[in-house]
Amino acid sequence: MSGNVAFDATDIVLSIVKIAVILLLWLNVTPIMVWVERRGSALIQDRPGPNRVGPLGLLQSFADALKFILKEDIIPAQAHKWLYTLAPAFGLLPALTTIAVVPWGRAFVIPEMHLFGRTLFEGGRIFNPIIADVSAGILVIFALASLGVYGITIAGWSSANKYSMFGAIRASAQMISYELSLTLAAVSVLLVAGSLRLTEVVAQQTNYYYVLFDIVKIPAWNVLSPAMWLSFIIFFVSAFAETNRLPFDFAEAEAELVAGYHTEYSSMKFALFFMAEYMAMATMSAVITTLYLGGWDIPYYNEPATFLGFLLSFLAFMAKVGFLMFIFVWVRWTIPRLKYDILMRIGWKFFLPLAILNIVIVAAFIAGGWI
Amino acid sequence: MEFAIFFLFAAIAVIFALVVVLHRNPVVGALSLVASFFALAVMYVLLEAPFLAALQVIVYAGAIMVLFLFVIMLLNLSHAPEAPTRPVQQFLGYTASAAFGIGLVYYIAKYAVSTTTEGFFQADAHTIGVRMFEAYVFPFEMVSILLLAAIVGALYLSGRALPRPAATASQPGDEVSK
Repeated sequence: MSGNVAFDATDIVLSIVKIAVILLLWLNVTPIMVWVERRGSALIQDRPGPNRVGPLGLLQSFADALKFILKEDIIPAQAHKWLYTLAPAFGLLPALTTIAVVPWGRAFVIPEMHLFGRTLFEGGRIFNPIIADVSAGILVIFALASLGVYGITIAGWSSANKYSMFGAIRASAQMISYELSLTLAAVSVLLVAGSLRLTEVVAQQTNYYYVLFDIVKIPAWNVLSPAMWLSFIIFFVSAFAETNRLPFDFAEAEAELVAGYHTEYSSMKFALFFMAEYMAMATMSAVITTLYLGGWDIPYYNEPATFLGFLLSFLAFMAKVGFLMFIFVWVRWTIPRLKYDILMRIGWKFFLPLAILNIVIVAAFIAGGWI
Repeated sequence: MEFAIFFLFAAIAVIFALVVVLHRNPVVGALSLVASFFALAVMYVLLEAPFLAALQVIVYAGAIMVLFLFVIMLLNLSHAPEAPTRPVQQFLGYTASAAFGIGLVYYIAKYAVSTTTEGFFQADAHTIGVRMFEAYVFPFEMVSILLLAAIVGALYLSGRALPRPAATASQPGDEVSK
């Protein structure tokens, strides 16, 4: 926390700018990803998909949003009114706030400017493209992710519907199971970086390794290091379970539970759950990018500490996040839903021991000086 | 600024703690406890201990309370509006807890507040880790053994294959729910 650092009006304005940029980006993730999902599924299933509204159906999501606003907002008579209304907000909040501790570009120096007879950014000011660079960065992510289950649980319970209830119970059991593997898999990344701060996790990955008798130079991205492969696979698969995406979408499971926890929801309340799902997906992709794919690092290119360098690194970050989100969509339309007992078995008997074993492996690599 | 944030979140913590005690619906109670824990985590941030704040949310708000809520929902606990049948016990209970509360506030006001040393203290992950594995390694390991014993006990109780007495015997959950 920046308790003893001078914090003036310029910093406040910069913070607001950062929050505005990220908020705008993340709010727009949903319509874009819905389009990608629908067109992507159509591509995979060899059908046209939405193609009526706008070119390539690009405006379909906006038409959907308009439709959501116009729909009747129904609250079931038996529902717990307060919690039923609060649940979508509970679901959206963690997805929207987690991104605050993820760095999304290279820090750069804003040069001194003279505008309207005033001196702005006196002596140059460092712009760090992260909303909150807290020392417990990764823990904040897990803390907020662990709160994500409440939105689903409260929604399921307060709807007074058996299907919703089943969805909620499944979701809470699933999410607390996979949270363990997720956290333990991330420990190996923290061991290598030697810090909980995500800016330092990324900074460590901007280095290079020399392999094959010091001939080949590869970026020190965690995903490229053999010691991290196990951890990456566990984290990536657990991320699907944490975001309730297929093949782990037991909270919804439309073939079994109508629509699971949001069966009773309509109008904008349902739209909020929809947004929460895609934002959680985007946030999870950003976290995976930061932990394993080198964050904003462009391989074999030393980004200058200028606005151009920041812009390039930001685009690299968004490209990686976008690629991961496409994989989320790809997997959804490729792999069918698992059985519930298999899901639990994978989580507890397979991933958890492997994640613990992986910590030992990575620790051995570090002790041996191979990382 | 810090002053205002402290009192805002202190008020939130106290109000939600009161809701936990006073509200009849157990699900609302559990969720209020989550809110109270979250407000408590803000206190840790104000004390410049974000590590503890994150742990507070992960362990209490994120893990323990989810399990509480899970059990409450699974058993579908409903409040049993009992008529106050034992006025003497009720009176004694209120008196005793009021006396305890007054004593607690008195001693905290007298000793705890005045003796806290002002100044910088470290509560980051590194310091806590070193302390835990050097100075406090024995209590730390003892706690882990205690937790292990609890896990083994729970596994034994839930997993033993005893012949059930008869089909009429109720499950443990039934008497709780009704």
